Amino acid sequence: MSRLRALPRAHLIAGLCLVVLVLYPVVNPWQPYPQGVMLLAFLLAIQASSWNIISGYAGYISLGHSMFLGLGSYTVGVLAVRFGVNPLWVAPLGGVTAVIIAVLIGSVVLRTRGHAFVIITIAMLLAAQIFAVNLKSITQGSDGITLELPFWDRDFQNIPFYYVYLILLVLTVLFSAWIRRTKFGTGLVAIREDEGKAASIGVNTTRFKIVAYAASSFFIGMAGGVYAYYLSFINPVGSFAILGSVTIVLATLTGGRGTLYGPVIGAFIVQVVSEAATVYGGGSQSRVLLFGLALMVVVLFLPKGLLPTIEAWWRRRHPEEVEYTDQTGALSRAPATTTERVRAELAAVNAEDAIAPGEILLDVRGVSKRFGGLTAVDNAGLTVRKGTITALIGPNGSGKTTLFNLISGGMAADSGEIWFDGRRIDGMRPWRRGHLGLGRTYQVTRLFKEMTVQENVVAPLPDSRWRTMFSDAVGGHEAARARELLDIVGLGRFANQPAGALSYGQQKLVELAQVLMLEPKLILLDEPAGGVNPSLLGQLTEVIRELNRSGVTFLIVEHNIPLVLDLCDPVVVFSHGAPIAEGPPERIRTDPLVLDAYLGDDWRPAEDGAADEGAGESDRTETATREAVQ
Amino acid sequence: MTHLVQAIALGLLIGGVYALMASGLTLIFGVMRIINIAQGAFLILVAMLTWWLWHETGIDPILASVVTTPLMFGFGWVAYRLLLSRIRGSSASMSVLLTFGFALVIEGVLNITAGNKFKSATPSYFEESFRVGAISLPKAQVFGFLAAMAVLAALYFVLTRTWTGRAIRAATQNPSGAALVGVGATGTAALAFAIGSATTGVGGSILSVLYPFFPASHYDWISRLLGIVVLGGMGSLPGALVGAGILGLAETLTATYGSLNWSTLVFYIVIMVVLLIRPQGLFGAKLREDTV
Repeated sequence: MSRLRALPRAHLIAGLCLVVLVLYPVVNPWQPYPQGVMLLAFLLAIQASSWNIISGYAGYISLGHSMFLGLGSYTVGVLAVRFGVNPLWVAPLGGVTAVIIAVLIGSVVLRTRGHAFVIITIAMLLAAQIFAVNLKSITQGSDGITLELPFWDRDFQNIPFYYVYLILLVLTVLFSAWIRRTKFGTGLVAIREDEGKAASIGVNTTRFKIVAYAASSFFIGMAGGVYAYYLSFINPVGSFAILGSVTIVLATLTGGRGTLYGPVIGAFIVQVVSEAATVYGGGSQSRVLLFGLALMVVVLFLPKGLLPTIEAWWRRRHPEEVEYTDQTGALSRAPATTTERVRAELAAVNAEDAIAPGEILLDVRGVSKRFGGLTAVDNAGLTVRKGTITALIGPNGSGKTTLFNLISGGMAADSGEIWFDGRRIDGMRPWRRGHLGLGRTYQVTRLFKEMTVQENVVAPLPDSRWRTMFSDAVGGHEAARARELLDIVGLGRFANQPAGALSYGQQKLVELAQVLMLEPKLILLDEPAGGVNPSLLGQLTEVIRELNRSGVTFLIVEHNIPLVLDLCDPVVVFSHGAPIAEGPPERIRTDPLVLDAYLGDDWRPAEDGAADEGAGESDRTETATREAVQ
Repeated sequence: MTHLVQAIALGLLIGGVYALMASGLTLIFGVMRIINIAQGAFLILVAMLTWWLWHETGIDPILASVVTTPLMFGFGWVAYRLLLSRIRGSSASMSVLLTFGFALVIEGVLNITAGNKFKSATPSYFEESFRVGAISLPKAQVFGFLAAMAVLAALYFVLTRTWTGRAIRAATQNPSGAALVGVGATGTAALAFAIGSATTGVGGSILSVLYPFFPASHYDWISRLLGIVVLGGMGSLPGALVGAGILGLAETLTATYGSLNWSTLVFYIVIMVVLLIRPQGLFGAKLREDTV
């Protein structure tokens, strides 16, 4: 709730600041110097806010972002000189050039995870400079391009530029705020937190990152166009300066990476301090040193930035009581109508399927996976029939989780085929499998810990449509659906808490709700009962049964044998990377092969089975409770 | 034909030097997942130092690496202990930003102390060449190449034949496993960072002879070196060697058959083409995603 209350307040302050900035040139029109400083602060804020989309929300650092400013400047400079148009009219084309280049670079570099991106961004900035120097026929080389002077009367000074930049800044911030509200924005934060997990819940990470990079370039390109007109002269060294990138990074980092207003606040601070340093502290010569030191200090001592630090301090001062361990609260059920609606939806999704209940939904054929000398999955075959709750049990290290990873696409199989819902999926990227209706949870939960519970559940994308990607994640249909799913697992009241604050068992339930957002046909559950206390476990099995009645198929890896025997049919036993037995639970528990390989003597039917089972169960629950306490 | 052979020979000579410069970077990345953006600044720092030593005492610039290498080893060790060890455990992007800031500080200090002018060490053999048949090999290039190869061989020896090297490789492959058998992560990391920095001792000395430089040159160098590392596959030493060879050849071939102005750009284009086909680089392994 504190967030809800804090949000409008932040917007209110931002609005007030905007009014002051709009009025400033009117109140104080004859001061070109402060206006100039403000104008450059606007420009920096536009760049920092834009950079924040790719490097703050999505967490992919670009160190060459000032390239887009230069690209915009050159696009507009060349067009204006060639065709004699006013630079302001073609400034949007600067943004278009920036977007095109960003998409080109992004589609090469952003297909993988990891560090190539940051490196390539530096290289591309320098490459752009080389182009500008050497493509003399277009850019006039190192001589640079001289543009016409502003058409307005000199009495207006730079006031028109002031307003143009202010408008651009407002648009940039609105754009950034809108992105953060959509499922696209939620997906970007998911990528920052855990890219592999994001892919498994249907986030097309490649597309998301490329679009984010493009989105982070447009307003900079446009601002670059205006900047060329403002300077009335551009050259390669000035337009593609790495120091420009440094100020962008520094501004965003100072204010708070990943926040909406942080980059803007940071931009004003950096611009004013840098101006003061130029005037009072030895001129622009020492600027490099100063920026370098500032960057190091911020990274070392203020890594989250001003805004989040202040926010955290405020929250510590005004703590808010949340009863995390309140069992009645945690277990409160959703109104029956909600549950019914979601069940009906899932039933509809599963009914329109070509595959009838009882037929094969998932078919794993002769799949192998080796890690060096270790064959984790060895020519394994497995079928899951529609409408069942199939269990996959076996000793630790028998390859169950690896098989899950191969099915969900986290890893690629060395050989074999995997078919799902009549389609071969082993070559598909994880998100495509998610869109087909294949969802999974993880043995150790992988929630996006810095997001709220609600955001976690909104993040998944059930299909690859652009409309879904840009649908509202904060209000509207998607958010309402997430709330319903949270109610179904009984955690609705934690919707606005950070996911990292929940207990382990509760996180498992949230992960299940997350998967349900995919409108799944098959859910892979990896040790759903591990570390979950008995009452939550009861809740969990009930949810699984209900969902199964609506037509959702389950494949469950679990070590809690009583639970498995109670819940699942059929049961598949894995050992040494391949199944050794399959059948209904009654048969599995007496199968001599299974007893030797996994269950052990405790389950021998010769002894008193019923008493044993009881003992085993209490043992299990004790362990579970202990883990939950831990 | 002679042109081609000449270009290839020169390309390989330069490639050897690039390989040395990139090896430190890839070593540091391999062990710590830190992209040391300051590596280029380290090179320029050493080049400045070498130039100054040569200018003041007349000592041979490449030989000066006997002094600069241990100096950079210590410098790297201290830098790791004082700066980088503080952000252990935070995301890799923070190390990028920190070392980027460090690079700027070095550039700024050099700007103030050494001035913003191009420098180049020119020992007596600077303009002489060895002639092999029809092709001529500038002595400076040959000496630089030999020094680079010697250091790379020493580095290879240390990494494969000594306990220290095994510790570093163990930490590269499995940090927690290495810790279990007594290889402390922080100590190993500091050592690897120090060794990685020490390679710039020789690299920078060679640079001071082969290329004119000034404080801001480090951007060109770091982007080249990072290009090599991306091309070869992040963290792969053989990848760095091959990547360096490709850069050397791309530069000399473009300079011979096209224009010197475009040579760096040609290399970037090669990188993009390689990444288009193999997103993880030539020798890079795909990151394994695990659940636990």
